[in-house]
Amino acid sequence: MIGFDHNAGTPLHPAVSEAWAQLLREADLGNPSSIHRQGQRAREVLEQARRAVAHALGVPALGVTFTSGGTEADALAIEGSAAARERAGRPAGVLTSAIEHPAVLGAVARVQARGHRVVRVPLDDRGRFAPGEVAAIVADAPDLGIVSLAAANHELGNRYDVAAIVAAVRSVRDDVTIHVDAVQAFGKVPVDLAAWGADLVAVSAHKIGGPAGIGALVHDPQARLEPLWQGGAQERGRRPGTESLWLAHAFGVAATRAEAEREVTAARWAELRPRLRAGIEALDGRIHGDLEATTGNTLNAGFDGCDGQLLVMALDLAGFATSTGAACSAGTSEPSAVLRALGQSPARARQALRLSMGRTTTAADVDGLLAALAPAVARVRTHAGELAS
Amino acid sequence: MRVVCAMSGGVDSSVAAALMVEAGHEVVGMTMRLYDAGDDVRRGRGGTCCSPAEVDLARAACSRLSIPHYVVDERERFTAQVIDPFVRDYAAGRTPNPCTRCNQHIKFGPLLARARALGADVLVTGHYARLDDGQLRRGADPAKDQSYFLFAMGDDARASVRFPLGSWTKDDVRARARELGLPAADAPDSQELCFVPGGDHGAVVERRAAALGLDVTDLAPGRVVDEAGEVIGDHDGIHRVTIGQRRGFRTRGTERRYVLAVLPQSQTVVVGAARGRTAGLRVGELQRLGLPEHGEQLAARVQVRHRGDAEPATLQWSGDHATVRFDTPVDAAAAGQAAVVYDGDRVLAGGWITDVTSA
Repeated sequence: MIGFDHNAGTPLHPAVSEAWAQLLREADLGNPSSIHRQGQRAREVLEQARRAVAHALGVPALGVTFTSGGTEADALAIEGSAAARERAGRPAGVLTSAIEHPAVLGAVARVQARGHRVVRVPLDDRGRFAPGEVAAIVADAPDLGIVSLAAANHELGNRYDVAAIVAAVRSVRDDVTIHVDAVQAFGKVPVDLAAWGADLVAVSAHKIGGPAGIGALVHDPQARLEPLWQGGAQERGRRPGTESLWLAHAFGVAATRAEAEREVTAARWAELRPRLRAGIEALDGRIHGDLEATTGNTLNAGFDGCDGQLLVMALDLAGFATSTGAACSAGTSEPSAVLRALGQSPARARQALRLSMGRTTTAADVDGLLAALAPAVARVRTHAGELAS
Repeated sequence: MRVVCAMSGGVDSSVAAALMVEAGHEVVGMTMRLYDAGDDVRRGRGGTCCSPAEVDLARAACSRLSIPHYVVDERERFTAQVIDPFVRDYAAGRTPNPCTRCNQHIKFGPLLARARALGADVLVTGHYARLDDGQLRRGADPAKDQSYFLFAMGDDARASVRFPLGSWTKDDVRARARELGLPAADAPDSQELCFVPGGDHGAVVERRAAALGLDVTDLAPGRVVDEAGEVIGDHDGIHRVTIGQRRGFRTRGTERRYVLAVLPQSQTVVVGAARGRTAGLRVGELQRLGLPEHGEQLAARVQVRHRGDAEPATLQWSGDHATVRFDTPVDAAAAGQAAVVYDGDRVLAGGWITDVTSA
């Protein structure tokens, strides 16, 4: 099985398996919050992991709160900020975009349900917007207090200039909380949080060679965030619950490896992506999203008369893992919400085929995929063309 | 050979898939979501076909057989091609046959297209029927034979579909499922329409009729009259009664009464002491399985309900219309049902009953 669905999840980095094997041999770990030496050993493992993640992101360790993944990090950022703002009597309206990940859209919807306004920055048909537009909106809207915009889009692979967006917003207001979902950016493009200047940044492990089930919210150590639930005092009260020691350990290793290997990987993608794009265009495929400012590993394509889901199935049977970008495990074929938000018809949005390369993708993989894609497109178009209209 | 097997999560399709795997084919399992059980499942009103519970069973069966499992969403098409005609038929006083429409428009249309799109030459289902070189025949188990619902498959489908269970009995299928450890081995057969939770089709019709812009007064409670036209009772809506049945209405006295006719315009149901008898039928949308375009005086047997016998009759047909004259009147047929023509166990033709001539 050759993976072209790394945006959904990545195979474990060998260094992670090795790190777990090593930790298993050392044994004798307790609860990181316990007083005894078993707890102390566990605490050290946890804090080492935290330092590793922080180091990979260029921030102090105090500013990293572990969560169960990117979704929880986004929820903590958005709902936690809104709740803290409500307490302090500060505005909690949100400016976001219509193409954010469902984790962000879901958290924003809950803030809206608490009575706060939500505004979406207008996008062009490729999902782009200018930092100045964001600034213009918040400048004129004192009821907006939170900006949430992703550093990279999970379906399109668009890359956004976070530093420029933050600078633009700060130039007109200094009281806005800026949250960046960097789940798809970390490990692909430079994530220099100091340079970004954002208040809250979400990352997750399973996009960078770590296991699913762990992520982090990166923030100013003094950031005011209401925890999503109450319980113990772990993670400085921001995230009660016994810390996920083993997953954090894996995350630390994955983060270190991802940053160390990022440039080499990105360079390989820079050679492979044009090859992949050319192959798609040779089959008269469209490419969605920003063609220039991208994470480098993603191509979101569409082929006339071809249902994206059927293409994914056909490619699966041919040995290639891909996706439509839209969630559908229970068999709901909702057309891509992202493409719909960009103005595409439901029929067109159902044609989306998302190809996302990973750390290990080779030229042979790309050629193999393209070789399987041509007959798949032809068959799907011939036999099921009407299903795509 | 690569084949796609339609997996409903039930024991029949699971065993059908298993048989194809045993025969050495590359089997791909595919489940269609047809109906949004949604609210009904949440309220504990039981599952229906292709609610997530069924999808889960299908997934488990595929996992057990080590075959891929895909789920496709046909809810919109199913609503348009099966549920809405079902609702319209009842509102017009006809008795619909949704299973035949599903086979015709969903299973052997889009599902077959998807199978071919995935490089499969053959679509497999767990129907109890036989196909020999494109000739449709009854299944070996008379209690389970589903050939009645399959007449409208079309030539293209008949050439590309396999029914591995055609010569099996239900008992043997269950036994094999148990041997194979398939999850649905002991699940009881559902007796209801897959999209009608709890068997209350009246509720389904009422809910959907408004959405379709039908005049819901047609579905209002009304009077029950006897053959002389005298009002002797009441009913809860013409869509809640079926020709030939005794349920769905209330009358004075204790005699048994059977629905003879439904008059939608006046929301009236006509009942009588005995089931009506049908002498003949007119049939539309006739599909001929190997018969020439015209014909007269063909002696055959015609079946007008799923659990009925195929009765001796003479068939006359031209293009997509046919007339049936029963040798002896049969229990009342209902417009909207299918009429399927048999010669022995071979299906010669089938169509939809448009008019019924009473005996």
